[in-house]
Amino acid sequence: MGKRDVQIFFLLFFWLGVFLFIMEGRGSAVNTPASRPLTRRSKSYGRSCVEAPSYFWQTPGHLTVLKVPTSRGAAKSQLITNKVDPEHIALLVKNEWKLSYVTPLHHFRHTQLKSYSRHLAAFIAAENQQGVAVEVGLEAGFKVTFTAVLGLAETDEDAETVFIQIQSKPAFAAAADAPKVVWRGWLTCVNGDPEYLRSLPSDFVSLPLFCTSGSESLTTLVKTWFERAFDCNFGSLALNSTTLNWLAALWTGCHPTCNIRHLKLAWSLPTQPPLDVSYTVNPQDAWELWNSIHPEESTDDKIDIKEVQSFINGLETHFFRHFKIYLSAGTLVKVSTALGSAHLDGKIKIGNSDYITTLLTLLTESALLKMPT
Amino acid sequence: MADLSNLAGLGSDPSGEIDSSASSANNRSLRLAEKEKRKGEADPFGLAVKYLSQVEAGTVVRGNDELERNMLVVETVALSKGLPSEVITVLLDLALSLNAGTGNCARVLKFLIPATVVPQEAIVKGVSWLCVGKMPMNAQVLFVRWVLTVFDLIDCKDNLRSIYGFIFSFVTEENLCPFICHLLYLLTMREHVHPYRVRKLLDIQAKMGRQPFLTQLLALYKVFRPDLVTLSLPSRVRTGFKNHNSTWKVALSAVQRKNKGAVLVDQSLSLDVKEKPSTRKRVRCHLCNTVKSLTEHTLNSNKKVFCLQELRSFRELLENIHNIELPAQMGSLLGSALALHYLDCVQDESASLRLNFWLGHSLQEEFLLCPVDGSSDNTSEACRFLSTILFSQQFLQEGFSSTESFLYKFLSVWDGCLLRPQILDLLSDIPLMPSFYMHKLLFEPLKQLYFTSTVFFKVCMVLLFFFLSVCLYQARAWPCVLPRTMTLSGFMDSVMELVRFVGLLASEGLRLENCHVLLLNQTLAFYETVCDMFLKYSLPLIIMPPAGVFYPALFATDSVSVDRLGYIMYRYRKNLTLAKKQEQQREQTFHISRNTYKEFNRNLQAMVNSMWNSWWCIPGSDIEIDKDLISLSKVPEPWCRFDLIHHPALFSYAIEFHQRCWPERKNVDLGSIKTGKYWNWYMEFLFNQGFDGLNNFIQTNTGHSSGLSSQDDRQPTSQP
Repeated sequence: MGKRDVQIFFLLFFWLGVFLFIMEGRGSAVNTPASRPLTRRSKSYGRSCVEAPSYFWQTPGHLTVLKVPTSRGAAKSQLITNKVDPEHIALLVKNEWKLSYVTPLHHFRHTQLKSYSRHLAAFIAAENQQGVAVEVGLEAGFKVTFTAVLGLAETDEDAETVFIQIQSKPAFAAAADAPKVVWRGWLTCVNGDPEYLRSLPSDFVSLPLFCTSGSESLTTLVKTWFERAFDCNFGSLALNSTTLNWLAALWTGCHPTCNIRHLKLAWSLPTQPPLDVSYTVNPQDAWELWNSIHPEESTDDKIDIKEVQSFINGLETHFFRHFKIYLSAGTLVKVSTALGSAHLDGKIKIGNSDYITTLLTLLTESALLKMPT
Repeated sequence: MADLSNLAGLGSDPSGEIDSSASSANNRSLRLAEKEKRKGEADPFGLAVKYLSQVEAGTVVRGNDELERNMLVVETVALSKGLPSEVITVLLDLALSLNAGTGNCARVLKFLIPATVVPQEAIVKGVSWLCVGKMPMNAQVLFVRWVLTVFDLIDCKDNLRSIYGFIFSFVTEENLCPFICHLLYLLTMREHVHPYRVRKLLDIQAKMGRQPFLTQLLALYKVFRPDLVTLSLPSRVRTGFKNHNSTWKVALSAVQRKNKGAVLVDQSLSLDVKEKPSTRKRVRCHLCNTVKSLTEHTLNSNKKVFCLQELRSFRELLENIHNIELPAQMGSLLGSALALHYLDCVQDESASLRLNFWLGHSLQEEFLLCPVDGSSDNTSEACRFLSTILFSQQFLQEGFSSTESFLYKFLSVWDGCLLRPQILDLLSDIPLMPSFYMHKLLFEPLKQLYFTSTVFFKVCMVLLFFFLSVCLYQARAWPCVLPRTMTLSGFMDSVMELVRFVGLLASEGLRLENCHVLLLNQTLAFYETVCDMFLKYSLPLIIMPPAGVFYPALFATDSVSVDRLGYIMYRYRKNLTLAKKQEQQREQTFHISRNTYKEFNRNLQAMVNSMWNSWWCIPGSDIEIDKDLISLSKVPEPWCRFDLIHHPALFSYAIEFHQRCWPERKNVDLGSIKTGKYWNWYMEFLFNQGFDGLNNFIQTNTGHSSGLSSQDDRQPTSQP
């Protein structure tokens, strides 16, 4: 009630005047330094945080041993269904996912997924009827399926994605009733920082990104089970605005090959009462702006964070010209295109499976940045 | 049963001098046996037991006075002194065989109070009588309850464990089930847990509902085989079994109290006390949930595996160090000294990583990404958590890397107030790192906190660095504690940076806080460590305090600070002299820069000039002040205001001395102290007040022993 929502839809024209100044930011892409050999203390209660090769990078709010990349490759379409079972992909594309990060799983084996299914099912059943013991392996109200989604991993260091589905079978359902899917979730790692992954001992599996869709109580149960079985810990993964900026730029860059239909951005401005701005940009215009900053035919495939910043600044400046509102004073809370959407509080949707790798790489990176050292 | 004839003799002899079973086995001489027999006959208790052992099936019970009489004899002895273990075997057999009738069965069970131990064979036999199935239900229940009561007195339990299956078969008896479950709970080992037993228990659970005894047993099964059964205990459910010892409790504890002296040491504990640990131990197991990581489980493993949290003593740890199993959640080990011993010893990288991941995650979620809903207000819990970490780190004498990196993150958001003691303690556990990182991660955030905080916090901070330095230097064998990536020179640089940083903080703090006495003293305490780095800690480093610390101490109004400064200068001189000597002798690689000597000499000169030579502001020194400016202050004889007589810190002593020397004088003339023998007396008087630091300082630097006019401010080793 105390909130004003300003819905602004308009098309952007006449870009040229606005973006002349942006051009100078180009060409300064910094390549991440080549990996250096890893050293480890003989006596370690964990890994020392200041030893080579890790650096501390002070970013607002948190600090991490991992490097925050300042440049990355442009989003490329790849026919993911050639690599991954289309049925699996279809599962990932449909839902809105809530994101969490997970510390590395101890003694997780991809070969044991069947037994994990049984254990998790028994665990959920036991938790639902406190104090009653449940035999592992009996069908008791819930059916849990662990599936390995092969092919999503990009590098040798990436562990294969694991998809978990929980179906409920009501006690009094008719035989013909199909079991209802009540919860879905998956653990993944795409293009995870190779140095980090290599530095883990072999009995750890790092699947840092955990996406869930379904009731909160089941999510909690699944997390608890994982925490007990693999001595790992979950924490919620909120995206930062830099990640959202990256997504906006990367997705816009895909427009020539795949129609992104619209670029929708949502800002929240700290006014009294709070002002939410929803800003929808014509895809062609957005792309032209992006192309003026990062020409398609540029020899360098890398996109620099400065270019991304310029792109967002450009959008904000244009908005200011029309509405005299500095969007930069607020926070970007949501980005969405036909390829997918991402919200600041850690909710994502995947719209087009062909660009899934780019999105997951970015999210894996965010999750790894949250890892305790 | 073979020894029954000899048992009687034993019963009368609780001290056990004559081991009848042994005598029969060894075929002792007939004469000895005869003697025993006679002795036994003389003893009514022995006779009674003998009689009872010979009661056969089908004996008439009703109106059998002899049986009644013997029973009474044994009962009296049992309730007053307890029964020796052999008699227990006999009586248990008598009761459960129902040879003396069902009524007597219950009666015998009720007075079956062991004096020392219960032989395991008696129980095994009892179970076999149970299997015969003749006993009425209440007798069966009574028997199992009795077993539970004396469980801790059973001498050995392995045979009992080997008939686990027989005992298990009674869980289907509805009346017996609660007691049998308890007994099984006490007996169960990992190898006893089988799918068919789990299924049986689950069937019973389905029939009887969630009974606490079943839940407890199943929970134990889950601990041993999480791959077979799973269970979650509601947090509010009462854990543990009921006590079934009501029938025997009073008599048993009375007997045990009486026999305390005679009983073996480890059994002298009363039953109540003994029962608790065994139950507790198992309950804790549920909480910690040992890892059988679902998949790893190997059924055929012959070697006995111990969970780390079951170990009680260091000795146990040593004995089982090769068969130790880590818990599923490494976090549960934090704060357990035994577990930390083990971790430190095995250097299992995965284990310490798991611990670190958990620790880092908990710290991060608790303090950095704390939920906004206010649920993190629980400071006492957070405080306990940090204290546990501190305990563990102090135990390991090394910080966890996750705490370290947490602290670096936390310092940038810390208000300097929240959980201050714990955070400062944790900070003092931080290992030394290259100076570049020290600046960025430690000094910058601390500097900001320092300059915006109260004087108390400043004192705490300097104290922190004091500890940091002490910890650093106390590691005598410092080359060994160097992180591998740090060279010696890097290490020295870092120490130097640290000391300089504290110097900077202290001098600025003293300026801001108007030379607060507490802060000054803390700073001087820090320099007391620093000045001795070369001599005490063999660090080839000598770093002088900055002027911002030196002069406030020199001109301090409290005598303690001045005395401390004297001591510090005295130690510096010792260190420098020795360093110089070593350098000349051995051409050592390290070289103390000429600047350090210069700095020292300048400070020394200033101190000697002001205190001894009464000329505190020499032209060309650090504190040169324009003469006209001083004369404006209209202080008479400004130059001697900081000598040993007029120094504000020592002024009161001079007055006192003056009063003692010339009690009749009305006009105080402090200048007269300087004349003749009075000066020496004054020195003596001053040093008798406990100013050892000043004493040392003056003796070494002015050679004062008689010296009235000793103008000599010898400068040590100032030549390059």
